[in-house]
Amino acid sequence: MIVIKNLVKRYDDLLALDHLDLRVGTGVIFGLLGPNGAGKTTLVSILNGLTGFQAGEIEVFGLSLSKELAEIRRRTAFIPQTLALYENLSVIENLRFFAGIQKITGRTLRHNLDYAISVNRLQALLKQKAGILSGGQKRRLNIAIGLLNNPELLYFDEPTVGIDPDGRNEILETIRAFKNDAKTVIYTSHYMPEIEKICDEVAIIDQGRIIRQGLLETLLQEERADSVVIELLHANEAQLRELTQKYADVKFVDATTLMIDRHNSSKMGALLTVLEAEKIAIKQIRYGTTNLETLFIRLTSSGVSDV
Amino acid sequence: MLSKEFRLVFRDKHALAALFIMPAIFILIMSLALKDTFNSERALLKYAVVDLDQSVQSAKLRTFLVAQRVLQEQPAVIADDAGYKRVFPGELQFVLTIPKGFAQSYAQDEPVGSLLLLSAAADVRPEMLTLFETEVVTGVMRLRFAKMKTELAPFLPEVAQKLEVLDFNGEGIVKVRFNTRQPDEKPTSTQQSVPSWIVFGMFFIIIPMSTIFVNERRQHTLMRMSAMNISVPALFAGKIAPYIVINQIQVWLMIAVGIFVVPLCGADALTLGDSLVGLLMVSLGLSLAAVGTSILIAVTAVTVEQATTVGGIINILMGAIGGIMVPKFYMPHSMQEFANLSPMSWGLEGFLDIFLRGLGPEAVLADSLKLAGFGVALLLIAGMVFNYKQNRGL
Repeated sequence: MIVIKNLVKRYDDLLALDHLDLRVGTGVIFGLLGPNGAGKTTLVSILNGLTGFQAGEIEVFGLSLSKELAEIRRRTAFIPQTLALYENLSVIENLRFFAGIQKITGRTLRHNLDYAISVNRLQALLKQKAGILSGGQKRRLNIAIGLLNNPELLYFDEPTVGIDPDGRNEILETIRAFKNDAKTVIYTSHYMPEIEKICDEVAIIDQGRIIRQGLLETLLQEERADSVVIELLHANEAQLRELTQKYADVKFVDATTLMIDRHNSSKMGALLTVLEAEKIAIKQIRYGTTNLETLFIRLTSSGVSDV
Repeated sequence: MLSKEFRLVFRDKHALAALFIMPAIFILIMSLALKDTFNSERALLKYAVVDLDQSVQSAKLRTFLVAQRVLQEQPAVIADDAGYKRVFPGELQFVLTIPKGFAQSYAQDEPVGSLLLLSAAADVRPEMLTLFETEVVTGVMRLRFAKMKTELAPFLPEVAQKLEVLDFNGEGIVKVRFNTRQPDEKPTSTQQSVPSWIVFGMFFIIIPMSTIFVNERRQHTLMRMSAMNISVPALFAGKIAPYIVINQIQVWLMIAVGIFVVPLCGADALTLGDSLVGLLMVSLGLSLAAVGTSILIAVTAVTVEQATTVGGIINILMGAIGGIMVPKFYMPHSMQEFANLSPMSWGLEGFLDIFLRGLGPEAVLADSLKLAGFGVALLLIAGMVFNYKQNRGL
């Protein structure tokens, strides 16, 4: 579905994408993770033809992005994080406007409108102004607009920001269901549990490069074997952060958890000595981890959970 | 695209108020406020006379002043010349004091000191002072002339007889013709103010247009449209066309206010010129200039607040410079030259050519082209800025 080779994007002196390679198969829900400034947004912008690039090759549906952007756009949809809709227009006016600018008419329009409305459960809201919808309803309308061209490939940029857990679950279910329609989804999110819940495959991007890519389950299994987790009883967060700054191989996970690469466990002794000297009690030491967040933290250079 | 833009504007109460109600109110207020300014029959100067001489001559001078159409005598509120430095009551602009002995001194060949004492209000305009002084001096000259006739009569009866028929009758000396559609048609406050506020109101589309545009960019609606294969020219065209239509609605609505509503409030009705083509040329040129300015502000502003503040300031500055708020003929020459740089001035001159001077398309062609060129240039710059920002992900 998507093949990216040696992609380079610079903003003046800043290298945003550094010879990036990526492959995404058809019909998968693909999670794209990375810290702030890692290059996720730039990559998605390039894939949608919104930003140019200096070097590399991109193929989507086997078509060159540089040469056949218009055709690629006809078969893809970009659902931005912000509510890219008109609050002063009703739900149906929004849908008709965005269908109109894509020149979707006649039977195709009726079919695609029905699909977008039913998938997002907007039937009862069609005449309401978008501005008075709840946060979750607006998010659903935001997604519905993206379905108007019945795309084969959808880019979701944090589609659940600012909505309650029920609304979030509804949206995740909707996206998960795209798999049954053989649609491919590229999903960027700050919420690791969401990625774990819906994605088949993930890529972690950092400093403009893909540093790990693969099936989610495989990555987590590898991670379990690669890391040692130290759980603490009581600790001062600032004190722990200071420790992790002193010891480059030690990662801060949260206020009571540290992590160290199994292959660097020779430093374990030194770390335990420091913890004892600082009077920080250890609850348990175990191998591996079970979630994506710790994998992400270990791999990325930021060492913080804000991605 | 077009129907979306119309819906967004017509559902925004503030935009509607700024585009339609505000200029209509301006037209009403300014037509009424300036009603007398453009009326040459009106008494411009209000004065009082303190007649300490109480002579036949002083009475004649007062009678002469009362007869002048631009003067209006008010009851004397000051009993003596001690009132010279008093605060003037009400609308009084001048107090003319006729001192004791005026009847003897007015015709002396070499009068000692000033014949009359004139007190002027602190805020009196210089041209009004000159006008009043001229009227007073003319009055005194008439008295002297009459005295001369009387003195000559016994010695030169033929000359005195000829002088009898010669008088200072200004009406017969100068015939005023205004450079308007009809030679004898006087410019009215409505003719003067309606074009100004139409121009000003048309540029107010800066506010709704830039606000909607900045919101679209902030919410990534523009980005979404770009991802849906909408090109920058198509995007801009979808903005330009509706606002040009809105501008034209404004023009005709304001003209209707001038023709039908202003007379109901007591001012003169607007009379249209004879050139519909000329009117369309100017209004379309103005629309392009206003739309170009709006889009450039919209693409350069980062926030809605920036767009509204910068847009408002630019609108008011162009209006102040361009002769909207202060008519150009009140400005000094250098300022008038500067005013000619404002697109609002080009539009205003175009409208005045049509409404006031009764000229046709050929007279407004240059101003219309300047406006259109200005608008197109700003649109091109806006397109470049938009592309640059989009490519930088800004």
